[in-house]
Amino acid sequence: MPVRDSTVALPATAARRRARWTLVGSYAVLILLLVSLNFLLPRALPGEPIAALGDPRSELYVGDDSRRAAVQRYYGLDQPVGEQYGRYLAGLVRGDLGTSIRFNAPVSEVIGSRLPWTLLLLGVALVVATAAGVLGGVHSAWRRGRRADRRLLTLFLAIDNLPVFFLASLAVYVLAVKLGWFPLSGARTPFSQSWGPLRQGADVAHHLVLPAGALALQLVGFQYLVMRAAMVTELGSDHLLLGRAKGLSERVLKYRYAARNALLPSVTVFALQLGFAVTAAIFVETVFAYPGLGSLMIESVGERDYPLMQGCFLVLTVLVVGANLLAELAYRRLDPRMAA
Amino acid sequence: MSERRDPFLWVGGGIVVSLAAVAILAPALAPFDPRAATGPSLASPSAQHLLGTNDAGQDIFSQLVWGTRSSAVVGLLAASLAVAVGTLVGTTAATLGGRVDLFAMRVVDLFLAVPALPLLILIAALAGPTRATVIFVIALAGWPGIARVVRSRALTLARSGYVEAARGFGAPRTYVIARHALPALGPIITANFVIWAGTAIVLQAGLAFLGLSDPTEVSWGAVLNRALGSPSVYVTSQWLWWVLPAGLAITVAAIGLAFLGVALEPRSNPRWERT
Repeated sequence: MPVRDSTVALPATAARRRARWTLVGSYAVLILLLVSLNFLLPRALPGEPIAALGDPRSELYVGDDSRRAAVQRYYGLDQPVGEQYGRYLAGLVRGDLGTSIRFNAPVSEVIGSRLPWTLLLLGVALVVATAAGVLGGVHSAWRRGRRADRRLLTLFLAIDNLPVFFLASLAVYVLAVKLGWFPLSGARTPFSQSWGPLRQGADVAHHLVLPAGALALQLVGFQYLVMRAAMVTELGSDHLLLGRAKGLSERVLKYRYAARNALLPSVTVFALQLGFAVTAAIFVETVFAYPGLGSLMIESVGERDYPLMQGCFLVLTVLVVGANLLAELAYRRLDPRMAA
Repeated sequence: MSERRDPFLWVGGGIVVSLAAVAILAPALAPFDPRAATGPSLASPSAQHLLGTNDAGQDIFSQLVWGTRSSAVVGLLAASLAVAVGTLVGTTAATLGGRVDLFAMRVVDLFLAVPALPLLILIAALAGPTRATVIFVIALAGWPGIARVVRSRALTLARSGYVEAARGFGAPRTYVIARHALPALGPIITANFVIWAGTAIVLQAGLAFLGLSDPTEVSWGAVLNRALGSPSVYVTSQWLWWVLPAGLAITVAAIGLAFLGVALEPRSNPRWERT
């Protein structure tokens, strides 16, 4: 099968290794830019947002003395900007993201306790959306131009344009409130920690269905369109014609010959979608009061807890950028043509 | 335009024209001042208050009518800004080529690799979510994708026969741009403008839903934010007239603009390039 040959990784030549390091380098620059932006924005934007936290006349004033002192120590506004930047970077390297005003605890700890929920939500939704999108795309392309294809195309176009916060609220009202099939909000039943592991797992899964489902619906359209397009291009290829001439079954032709080759762009889409998925997850977590990083960021915006808000921003963006880098490295391994 | 795409044009165009009419005629269509308390708190729909009232006694129907205007303004301005910057960067990169092109596309790639919403939230929260800030951050999310599309289209164009012929005859760059580049790029710029107007409306509603909007602004997203923040919205039937109509308004606007964008999008049809 021709697929085999193209997936075998060629021995890394000097040129390919250099290309890989250029890639890693450009992502490192991007992360440094994000880190710097996170430093500059609260200091450069009009209204001097963080200076207001220590200004008794401002509505942002932090009343509690020890918390205000912690915030001011973290931002270090009385020092020269260069010094502030140096201390900020040194703190980041140690994992110090400052102290949350609202929780009066290190930002890194607060984020650490919420991050697993976001990863669970994103992981499940992305896997479900990719599987459904790829299968739908394969099916649609195989019967392109016919009724099934047109129906799927219209359906996915319409789903793609549903605002995710409305979709999520619709799911809560119909499936949780009216039908009572799923819990309204949260990630687990309160005080369920004493339950056995099996019952706890089922509880978490039960709470996950609606948020992950809403998120997956938002992601599935793009994956479907890309798979459909790649599959349609694959349909006219020679090896498919040969397979057909050999009398292979439709099933083998469809999945082993055409779909396998058409899968490659889906890897890119998976990475591209991560950024989009994080955006959608912020909405979904807010509607379901799901205790992840997205709802934490929105809570910190409402509470004017700037250190926590900035910590969420940094972790969410670096997460996506890092995953993008991994996906691009994986893509180069899968498709040696890209490495040149 | 092929006949197959006509339904998209009619459905999308019809929705967009109707919404534009509502936005323009808002003062005449809305029975009440959307900011004034004109009824009892949390009233059910009646002949007087078509969609009932919210917790502050404001007429929800009037808020949705005026919200159309807010969406239209933000959609138009944010999409104009994103398309202007995107087109400028895309055409400049394609025309100058070399290092400028490489640098511009690196910047575009960087922007595309960063998840949009966390950045928008950070800027909007720190700068204060005024309408101007919201328009600015939405445009910030939109220009890189547009720059990429316009650049690739402009590059194909620069290699096409008739542009090379015009250059061969010694046509000045300004002539090539005015006579060939702009007309050929027009359809893709229009399509992107329409598509981004839809995205901008959804993003504005989303930001307002998250609480990031000017507190004095009447918008669809602000209606949702207030409704979903109310403790009684799921327990009673209020959801049906407080959340559902606002959500449908955003959805219909998004689908209308997306369909119109699809209908206007130039496909690989050579006739499009000859105008």
